[in-house]
Amino acid sequence: MSDKKSLLKNPRVIIFIILLLGSIVAIHPGYTPGKGTTSNLNFGLDLEGGSWLQIKLEGALAQIDVDSGKLVSGIVEPIIGAPIEITKNDLDAGGSANKSITFTTSASVSASQLEYLGTVSVDKLSGNTTQVTISDTSKESLIQAYLSKALDAEVVIPEKSTQDGIVYEIRTAVTEEQLEALLEKVGGSIHKNEDGTSTYKEGVSTETRDLTKSILSDKLNSLGLKDIPVRTVGDEYILIDFAGIDLATAKEIAEKPGKFEIRIQTTGNETEHVLYGDSIETVGIPSFHDEQWHTSFTLDDKGARTLQKIALETGAIDNPDSHYLKMYLDGVEIYGAPLSESAAEKLREGPIYSWEASTGSDEAAKAEATALQVHLRAGALPVNVQLVGSGHVDAGLGAQFKTAAMVAGLISLVGVAAVVYFKYRRPEILIPMVGTSTSEVIMILGVAAVIGWQLDLASIAGIIASIGTGIDHLVIITDEVLYEGKLPPTRVFKSRIGKAFTIILGAASTNIIALSPLVVMGFGSLKGFAITTIIGVFIGVIFARPVYGVVIKELLHVDEIGNGSVTE
Amino acid sequence: MATGLAEILDNFVKSHDDRQLLALPLAILAVSLVILLVSFVSTGSPVNLGMDFQGGTQISIETANSPAVLEKMYSSYPITDVRQTGSRVIMQFGVMDNKQQSQLEKDVMGNYSNVQIQQVGPTYGKDLQVQAMQALGISFIGMGIVVFLLFRTFVPSFAVILSAFSDIVIAAAFMRVAGVELSLGTLAALLMLIGYSVDSDILLTNRVIKRRGTVEEKVSRAMHTGITMTTTTLAALASMYIISTFSYLVIPSFTQITLLSQISIVLIAGLFADIMNTWLLNTGILRWYAMKPEFRGRYNR
Repeated sequence: MSDKKSLLKNPRVIIFIILLLGSIVAIHPGYTPGKGTTSNLNFGLDLEGGSWLQIKLEGALAQIDVDSGKLVSGIVEPIIGAPIEITKNDLDAGGSANKSITFTTSASVSASQLEYLGTVSVDKLSGNTTQVTISDTSKESLIQAYLSKALDAEVVIPEKSTQDGIVYEIRTAVTEEQLEALLEKVGGSIHKNEDGTSTYKEGVSTETRDLTKSILSDKLNSLGLKDIPVRTVGDEYILIDFAGIDLATAKEIAEKPGKFEIRIQTTGNETEHVLYGDSIETVGIPSFHDEQWHTSFTLDDKGARTLQKIALETGAIDNPDSHYLKMYLDGVEIYGAPLSESAAEKLREGPIYSWEASTGSDEAAKAEATALQVHLRAGALPVNVQLVGSGHVDAGLGAQFKTAAMVAGLISLVGVAAVVYFKYRRPEILIPMVGTSTSEVIMILGVAAVIGWQLDLASIAGIIASIGTGIDHLVIITDEVLYEGKLPPTRVFKSRIGKAFTIILGAASTNIIALSPLVVMGFGSLKGFAITTIIGVFIGVIFARPVYGVVIKELLHVDEIGNGSVTE
Repeated sequence: MATGLAEILDNFVKSHDDRQLLALPLAILAVSLVILLVSFVSTGSPVNLGMDFQGGTQISIETANSPAVLEKMYSSYPITDVRQTGSRVIMQFGVMDNKQQSQLEKDVMGNYSNVQIQQVGPTYGKDLQVQAMQALGISFIGMGIVVFLLFRTFVPSFAVILSAFSDIVIAAAFMRVAGVELSLGTLAALLMLIGYSVDSDILLTNRVIKRRGTVEEKVSRAMHTGITMTTTTLAALASMYIISTFSYLVIPSFTQITLLSQISIVLIAGLFADIMNTWLLNTGILRWYAMKPEFRGRYNR
C-alpha cells in the first residue's frame, strides 16, 4: 500500500489531520451516564434556555457654535427678568478653566439664582445698577450648564473630543430640531462641518457606552450572577444575555439599582448612616488635578444638609482624621477618606453640594477613580435607556431546538451524500467527499470551542449552509480532475487542480464578501450565522479542499490500476 | 435527477438560439419586478416586513388550547395573529408599553410551558430596516467588484451580475407571493444567495472564456458540474427545510424552528431561480459574446 504512505507524507495531509484531531480534542466530546453527552461547545440562549435584553442608549453628540456674550445674556436675562450689559468678558481667551465674565443690570440679583454657572459675586454699584461677576467658569462649562438645566440631563465633554473642536454629549434623547431651538434662544447653533453636514449625531460617546456597560456588568456581578455577558453592539446598543434566567427576572435585575450608602465614622469602627444613593444627583468623569485623581459628584439639598449636620454632630469637622467618610455599595466598603481641611472649614458655614473624592496620583488611583465613578452611580445608568428588544426561550424548548437542529444537520449531510452517489456512483469519490465535508464541520466546531463562540440556531444554519458550499467546491474539483472521464497524468492533474482552485477561490471570495455586512452591522443574532459561514469557507478553502484533491488522486489512481478503465 | 436535469437543460440550450434562451428568464425577472413594484406602491415595502423590522412581540407556547380560545383569552392585549403548528401556538402582538409587556410575559410564563418570547421595539425595527437595505447594497456591490476583478471584461462580468440580481429579485418576489416575511433570517438568506448564486456563474464563465474547446462543449460540461453543485446544495437545504418545518408531524415532541425553516425556503426558491438564470440567461449572453465575429473564434477552439 505505497499510496497510503505517500499520502501521509504530504504536508497538506499532515496539517489537515493535526487540525482535525486538534478540533476533536477542543470539542472534547464525552458521555457521562445519567447526564448524557457532554462537550466543550457553548450553546446560545436559544438552544440552552434563558433570556436576553437589548437596550438602546439615548443621547446626542454635537459641536456647538455660540458667542459667549450672547450666551450669558441668553442664560441670565430670562432668570433675572431684565436686560444685562456685559462690561468685561475673558471667556474667549485661551486656556481652559477659571475665566470670568462681568455684567451690569438694573434688576436685583441674588447669587443663588446663578450659582450653577460658577462662582458668583454680586455688588450693588448704585441705586438701580447691580454688577455681577461669574468666575471659575468657561464658555464650555456655561454651555454645559445651560443645556443641562434646559434638558434636565447631564451634559459632558467626552475625553477624546477636543481634537477637531469640542463635542458635547447630551445624555438624554434630544432631536436635532429641539437642540437647535434651545441654542437659538442664546444666539447659538449646531456647528456644521466643512462640507455643510451637521455635527449632530444621535447616540452616545464610546466612553459613555463603555461606562454603561461596566455599570451593568458590575451590578450583575454584585448580585452574584457571574458570567453574564454584556456586549456592546455599535455605539448605541447593549445586549445582555441571561443564561437560565427567565425574562421577568432578567428585567427586574436590569432595572433594580444597587444600594449605595455613605456613612461616617463615629468612634472606633462604629459608623453612622449619612445618606443613600438617591441623594447623589450627578457623577462626573474622573479628572486629574492638584496631583491627585478625583471623581466629582453632587448631592441634592437634603443630602448636603444631612451631611453637614452629621459632620457637625460627630465632630468630623474638628477632627477629620478620626472620622472618615466611608462609601458602601450593597454593604461592601468601596471608599474611605477623611474630610479635607478646606471642606471641613466650609461645612461650618453651610452645606456643600459639589464634592470630589480623591484617590491618589498613580495608575491604580486612576482605576480606583473610574471604579468609584461606576459605584457612585450605584447601578443608575448614566444615560436614559430604552428597551428595544428582548427574548426568552424555555430550557426545555431550547433542548428540543438543539436536537432538531442536529438532526437537520445530519440529514442534510445524508441528503447531499445521496445526490453525490447518484451522480458519480463510485464509493471512492463518495467517501472522500463526505469525509471532507464532515471534517470541515468538525473543524468549524473546533474553532467555535477554542474561541468560545456561542453556537446558536443561526450558527447551525450557517454550518448546514457551509456543508452545501463545501460539497459544491468538491464537485468542481472532481469534475475538473475527471474532465475526460478518467484520471489524467500527474502534470495535467496539477494544472487541473489549479484551474479548479481559480474557480473555487472566486466563488469563496464572493461568499465571504456577501456575508461580511452581517458581521459588522448591528444585527445581533445574525453575526453568528455570518461568522460561522465565513469560518467554514476559510477552513474549507485553505485546509480541507486541497487535501481532497490529493486524496482523490490517490484513490482514483489505485482504482485506475485495479480496474483498468473508468466508466461514467 | 442531477444528470437527468442536466441532459434536458443541455439539449434545450443546444437547440435554441441566444434570444430564445433569454426570453424565459427575462420574462420571469420582469414579472418579479412588477410584483415587487406593485407591493411597494400599495404597502410601501417590496416585501412583507416581519416583526424584526416592524416591532412587536411574538410568543410561542405549548398548549392544548385552540387558537380561537387563546385569541379570546389575550384579547385585552393588541393581539394580531394566532397560528397553530402541532402542539404549539404562536401568538403575534403589536407594540405595547413596558408595563403591559411585562404583565403579558408574566401571565404567559405562569400558565404555559416551553415558552419562547421575542420582542422588538419599533424604533429598533426602523433602524434595522435601514441597515438591512445597506447590507443588501454593500453585499451586492462587493460581489460585483469581486466578479469584475475575476474576469476583467465587461460583458461576461455583467452577465454574472445580472443573473445574481435576477436570483435575488425572483427570491424576493417569491417571498411576497408565498407570504414569507422579511425577518433577520430571510435577510441572511438573501445575502447568502448573493454569494451562493454566483458560484455556478463563475464556473460557467471561467470555463467558457479561459479554456480551450468549442463553446458548446464547454457550456455543456460546465452545466453538468454546475447542476450537480446546485442539486447537492438543494439537497442540504431541502433536508433543513423538511426537518425544521414538518418534523413535528412525525415526532410530536419536535417543534418547528421558524428561523431555519425561513432561511431554507428562501434559499431553495433562490437556487431554483439560479438554475434558470445561470443556464439560460447567463449562458445566452455569454454564448452570444463568445461567438461574436470580432473574436474570430478565440473562445471557440
